[in-house]
Amino acid sequence: MSYILSITTLACINMIAVLGLAIFTGFTGLFSFGHAAFMGIGAYVSAILTYYYGVPFPLALACGVAASSAASLIIGIPTLRARLRSDYFAIAILGFGEALRVILENLSITNGARGLPGIAPYTTLPVVVLCLGLCVIVARNFLQSRYGAACIAVREDPVAAEMSGIHLFRTRLLSLALSAAYCGLSGGLLAHYLSFIQPVMFTLVQSTQILAAVIAGGLGSISGPLVASFLFIALPEALRVAQMWRLVAYGLILVLIMLFRPQGLLGHQEISRLFKRPAGEDH
Amino acid sequence: MMRRALAVLSCIALLATAAQAAEDVIKVGHTVSLTGGASMWGQSEKNALELLIGKINKDGGVLGKKIVLVSYDNRNDPVESVNVARRLVNDGVVAVIGPAQSGNSIATAPILERAKIPMIVTTATNPYVTIDKDTGKVRPFAFRPCFIDPFQGTVAAQFAYTDLGAKKAAVLYDVGSDYGQWLAKYFEEAFTAKGGEVVAKEAFRSEELDYRAQLGKIKGLSPDVLFLPTTQKEAAMAARQARDLGITATLLGTDNWGSPDLIDLGGSAIDGGYFVNLTDLSDPDIQGFVAEYRAAYGEDPVLPNPVMAGDAIYMLVDAIKRAGSTDGTAIAKALEETRDLPVVSGKITVNPEDHNPLNKPAVIQKVDTKAHAFVFVKKYEPGD
Amino acid sequence: MFLQTLFTGLSVGGIYALMAVGYSLIFSILNFSNFAHGSVIMLGAYMGLGLASKFGLKLGFVVAGAMAGGGLLAVLNERLAYRKLRHRNAPSLYLMISAMGCSVFLENMVYVTIGSRFYAFPEFFTRRVVTFLGSSVSVMDLFALAFSLLAIGALGLFLARSRTGIAVRAGVCDMTMCSLMGVDTDRLVALVFLLAGALGGLAGTFMGVRYLVYPTMGWITNKAYIAAVIGGLGSLLGAIVGGVILGVVETFISAYVSSVLRDVFSFTILVALLVCMPNGLFGKSMEERV
Repeated sequence: MSYILSITTLACINMIAVLGLAIFTGFTGLFSFGHAAFMGIGAYVSAILTYYYGVPFPLALACGVAASSAASLIIGIPTLRARLRSDYFAIAILGFGEALRVILENLSITNGARGLPGIAPYTTLPVVVLCLGLCVIVARNFLQSRYGAACIAVREDPVAAEMSGIHLFRTRLLSLALSAAYCGLSGGLLAHYLSFIQPVMFTLVQSTQILAAVIAGGLGSISGPLVASFLFIALPEALRVAQMWRLVAYGLILVLIMLFRPQGLLGHQEISRLFKRPAGEDH
Repeated sequence: MMRRALAVLSCIALLATAAQAAEDVIKVGHTVSLTGGASMWGQSEKNALELLIGKINKDGGVLGKKIVLVSYDNRNDPVESVNVARRLVNDGVVAVIGPAQSGNSIATAPILERAKIPMIVTTATNPYVTIDKDTGKVRPFAFRPCFIDPFQGTVAAQFAYTDLGAKKAAVLYDVGSDYGQWLAKYFEEAFTAKGGEVVAKEAFRSEELDYRAQLGKIKGLSPDVLFLPTTQKEAAMAARQARDLGITATLLGTDNWGSPDLIDLGGSAIDGGYFVNLTDLSDPDIQGFVAEYRAAYGEDPVLPNPVMAGDAIYMLVDAIKRAGSTDGTAIAKALEETRDLPVVSGKITVNPEDHNPLNKPAVIQKVDTKAHAFVFVKKYEPGD
Repeated sequence: MFLQTLFTGLSVGGIYALMAVGYSLIFSILNFSNFAHGSVIMLGAYMGLGLASKFGLKLGFVVAGAMAGGGLLAVLNERLAYRKLRHRNAPSLYLMISAMGCSVFLENMVYVTIGSRFYAFPEFFTRRVVTFLGSSVSVMDLFALAFSLLAIGALGLFLARSRTGIAVRAGVCDMTMCSLMGVDTDRLVALVFLLAGALGGLAGTFMGVRYLVYPTMGWITNKAYIAAVIGGLGSLLGAIVGGVILGVVETFISAYVSSVLRDVFSFTILVALLVCMPNGLFGKSMEERV
């Protein structure tokens, strides 16, 4: 039983990060191979605050969220302003993530590459579910707001969006900062769940896992990536598949989805709509 | 009605027998690398434990119960080690053997400490496995049968200074490993204290392949000895690159070198290197164990892990017997009082101050690529 | 020490360059970053290793076999993972995600099937060292450097002189026009992948001989990608220059600043260069609606 609970907790923590990337990639149309770095910042900032300074857990989490959001501006402002080609942007953020990891590996407060053991396990399932619920509500409201509409417009046609008075740079930066905040929260929760973090957890592999869930779930959907992320965590655990086979499957899924269903499993739809309309109807 | 009552009764009976069966065994956890870079030792460690536990069970088990080994693969990864530790706690093990690596052990220790389950690591030699780095106090539930890195670093330094006659040493280590970082420090301290000079202390990151920039720097300082407290594959690459750069210094390593594939990976470059190890295949104390292992599995044990795991299981069995119970706190207390216990590698006494064994010897081995073997050079007793 | 560092940097840069050329070649014609190239390099190393240790072949045959294997693998990769996307005129980003998927897939397939053990090539050269002004270079590095330059030179010559090479260059300029003129673009693309894959196999074998062979050795190809970006994606000359520059700069940073912080510099250079000079040193300007 407690094993199932722990898998559910991990899946929910992962879903928060996936939700963040869904806002950025799914709704704003920019890809990132580096969002694990934002998880890393959230994890390290909150863990260091509770571990060394005894800061209360909610406050530490909030600081982690703020820090990853702020860090996203560091890479976001120059690259988004320069209007890099979309694949160059994905690579620039990958470079940012790798550089950040090397820095984490060399600070003494993070205990370097060896990782920080013995973080207090504050994260429990109710806490995670509460956070996830709040995140979903915030994401929905954001996407239904003026800003969310601007994001979708930018994704569909940047030129047309710009012509109709949407500030491309600001819209993308806002979306990036919000998605980084989600990842920061996810990282903070992860740190206080695992009670051990090290820089190598927040690498390209982790970024790929988040991205795979977003792509597989459907670009432009909230529920799709959430379901995909849950399946990605829960299925291999239920089948007791080794980590390596899981990664083999992630790679294959990325390729197959690009080849046969680039809009993802749900496309632009939400699960709730599947029940209202006849299932399988295309967007 | 009657039938239903019968069904209920039989269910209860079944449950009762199941519970009975569960109480008839003592579960011992084992966190070990069965996949990944350290799987060779991990597999051998598991084999040894199964062999010895089979023997113990045949002799009547402990407190009249059989021991069951619950092994999980930690993939030589600290995060996975933490997951494994939790799973073992869930499974209700009375104690945990392993992990073998210092980094994994340091990540695991707080989890088991919270659950009040004693752990006996096998070959994790870092001091902070049994001592909490932040408080400086001994971890009440962490024990080990192997020597620790300050001793290993001292032995390496002493061997370099006295036996090899080295005056200048250079160190190249992995910043990403607890093991390498601390050994580099202990070697430097001991070598300097003897009167030698550490002319260069260079580091690399875990995934890196090319150490020539660092080695180029080292070459300019022409050391007599190049100390490589790294894994066997990093040592192999460093040795090849050092020789390619024309560095002629004697290579010196630590117990992580002791892997059969060191010679395959290092080739002629690693020939003539020396390293400190926990035990040697030719050690007279372990001949009985080696013979049993060969008989059971048809191959040599991959030292030193099987021997250290063997020591760990004997320490545990003895402690459970003396504690007279399977309560974690009682076992930990009994472990702390282990005195002159005969184990696989000889006799063991636990120092209650730091939970390390007293008087654990170290051996020096030499790499001989032509014979494709590690040759025993000498044995150091603490206090030599 | 300065000279020794320079030599080391050149030899590291040579390996980067050899890997970067494969990236640039594919980028030049399909306009996307083929992250699967790293896995082709890694598998090339395994093929070379298999030929060398299982069949005990000489270095020449090992290199030839690994080049052939790498080339075929790259063609197969294109056929299965990219062709459909190409025909659909999918955005280059979709190709890149597919490439990322291939790379994750292949690397972990090796983990699952062959395992994570490290392997070493047999020693083809006795450890001989050439000393020049007090600095040492190993004979193997010299040989690797010469052979790489030869391979890249032959490739350049092929692209510049031969009929097929001209078709490839035409494809680089305008794929659609090229196909309208009656060039079989599928065959052209396959040819480019064959060449890139062969270079990947060569790079993999050299890396395997130089270092060791193991599943994540493709990790170092991130550096090759940075090298290609520095030189300007799509330019062969750029890839070589970029590789050498990166190798030398990195080695000097390791030797004189900090060996553990080296990658921070590499990645900062990458980001800064992308922001200031998105086309690198020799790249042609490429517009994409963003």
